[in-house]
Amino acid sequence: MLRRGAALALTVPSAAALLEACSRSSSPSSGTGSQAGSLAGTAHMENYPDWMGTHVVPAFQKLHPGSFIKQTTNSSSSISGTVQQLKTGNFDFGLADVSTTQQAVDIGLVQPPDWSKIPNIKYVGQSFRTAYPHGIPTDYGKIGIGYRPDLVGEKITSWHDVWRLAPRFSGKIVFIDLDRDCMGSALKYLGYSGNSTVPSQLTACKNALIQIKPHLQAFLGVNYGQGLQDGSTVIAMDYDYDVALNQQKQPKIEWVFPAEGMVAYLEGWIAMKSSKVLPLVESFMNFALEPKQYADFVNTTGTAYVESAATPFIGKSISGSTILRPGKAITNVEFEHYLGSATALWTQVWDEVKAA
Amino acid sequence: MQAATALRGRKADRGQAAGRRRLPGHLLVVPTAVWTLAFFVIPLAAITVFSFGTENLVTFNVDFGWTASNYAAFGSALYVSSLLRSLALSLGTTAACALLGFPLAFFISRQPPRAQRVLLACVIVPFWTSFLVRTYSWVNLLQTDGPVDRLAFGITGHHLQILYSPASIAIGMTYSYLPLMVLPIYVALERISPDLYAAAADLGARPWRQFRRVVFPLARPGLIAGVIIVGVPAMGEYVIPEILGGGKTLMVGNIIVGQYLDVGDYPFGSALAVSLMVILMAMLFALRRVQPAVEAR
Repeated sequence: MLRRGAALALTVPSAAALLEACSRSSSPSSGTGSQAGSLAGTAHMENYPDWMGTHVVPAFQKLHPGSFIKQTTNSSSSISGTVQQLKTGNFDFGLADVSTTQQAVDIGLVQPPDWSKIPNIKYVGQSFRTAYPHGIPTDYGKIGIGYRPDLVGEKITSWHDVWRLAPRFSGKIVFIDLDRDCMGSALKYLGYSGNSTVPSQLTACKNALIQIKPHLQAFLGVNYGQGLQDGSTVIAMDYDYDVALNQQKQPKIEWVFPAEGMVAYLEGWIAMKSSKVLPLVESFMNFALEPKQYADFVNTTGTAYVESAATPFIGKSISGSTILRPGKAITNVEFEHYLGSATALWTQVWDEVKAA
Repeated sequence: MQAATALRGRKADRGQAAGRRRLPGHLLVVPTAVWTLAFFVIPLAAITVFSFGTENLVTFNVDFGWTASNYAAFGSALYVSSLLRSLALSLGTTAACALLGFPLAFFISRQPPRAQRVLLACVIVPFWTSFLVRTYSWVNLLQTDGPVDRLAFGITGHHLQILYSPASIAIGMTYSYLPLMVLPIYVALERISPDLYAAAADLGARPWRQFRRVVFPLARPGLIAGVIIVGVPAMGEYVIPEILGGGKTLMVGNIIVGQYLDVGDYPFGSALAVSLMVILMAMLFALRRVQPAVEAR
């Protein structure tokens, strides 16, 4: 399953085929920390659609005449889909979450970063760098709870509250339709690691989800928290960025950092060993981490961000959001890891939940 | 003797000439044959070969050890239940399309030619809109406080809560596949000579008897074609269940897509796809065996 890729594949059919986006709009350049020089060539990037600061690529290309960054969106952003795309050798670098990255590392696809070429990594919070050691972390997304206190009538503080209140709000609760995020959250509810591969714990997770399933309106792959706006949904297992977005339209929506903790995906860019333009890739990575450029990425995508230094350049609706701002927001968060051979077991358990 | 030789010679010339005339006709098949070979036969063969392999899910390297283990896994309760669910929804959709499509096709076929063209256009026009847009529009129609729910609430005083249920999947599938049922039935009905209606009436047959003894038997080939055209793709449908089922109804099509795109287990996905295809072919063969007997009645 996919995260942002799902929205693309389901709503824009033509984009399910390979989509090539190479922005050519002019923009002000920012040369801080980046050395202008000869980096002629084209670096091919595997990326989500529009998952790039509006001005970042044009600014870089202006700074380095003759250099081109071409972005391609794969029809699937699942772990296997992304790894198989990266395996083709058609890409010089790509966007990948921790799980995808680790699998790509295990296969020997990833070029270990030469941090001397990417000094701007210093701007990234240490916890993110530790969790994402094979490339530059760019964004993350926590899976928590969005709800309408005015409709629920009491304060929700935990996953336990969601399961407890489910019968009362049957048909008005939505969960995320992605095994890693949904099962990871259910595992947290049960007090286990969100990356558990212990069969008995996964069985308990399955039972917990089957227990609550009759009360769910849906497992949604897109627009997870949209129903919170009009009250057709009162509780949603949701991503932080989605709740923050919906909160702007409906201030009555509240975000919960569940007491049991929560899982989160962490994404970043990794360079491919097969790349013939590594200096260009490293230079672009370094450029994209400059606080102003990184802020452009955050302002464009609305994601939770990993560079506190970029805060002054980030729009107030994001930087002022306790949901998205780094810091206390990532305490009690467990990043999703690569499951290895247990991936098949997770898939089977997830299918059993869906089939129940 | 000479005359006989001359005759044979003329026949041979005519045969060669006929052969030369037929040649372009045969050539017309070539593009279709090449297309079918390249985009149906070869992929089908590849899928079948893959289905007997095993894959390392870390490296995605496939080992063609010719194992049937992928097929054995298909026998588990999880996959059998999904297959049965798909079969039930496919049968339900096909039946609903037939029940709605036959009267509509009959009505259209009984109109003057100009009206027929307009009505047929009305049936086809939705196809001009994106399939996904049409399917997503049902989310708005069926959601709580949507038009359908408001109508039901006005009549019964109860909310329908129909969205994200098997019923909403059936509605979406029926809507999407209905034109595929209407068109072949219409073609069969349109070929029925008006004289037959007049003759049946002259012989004292009332409308219902005319329909039962004249119209329906003659339209049966179109109905059977419609059943096949609707039933087969409906069995493997996965987009509509994903959108209108709210991810709560697992169909065999969803499992196959999941194995290909999410897990990346091509051999197992291929085994599921081949199994589904074999089941569908068995059903089609059974239908073909039954068809002559039904038509003879």
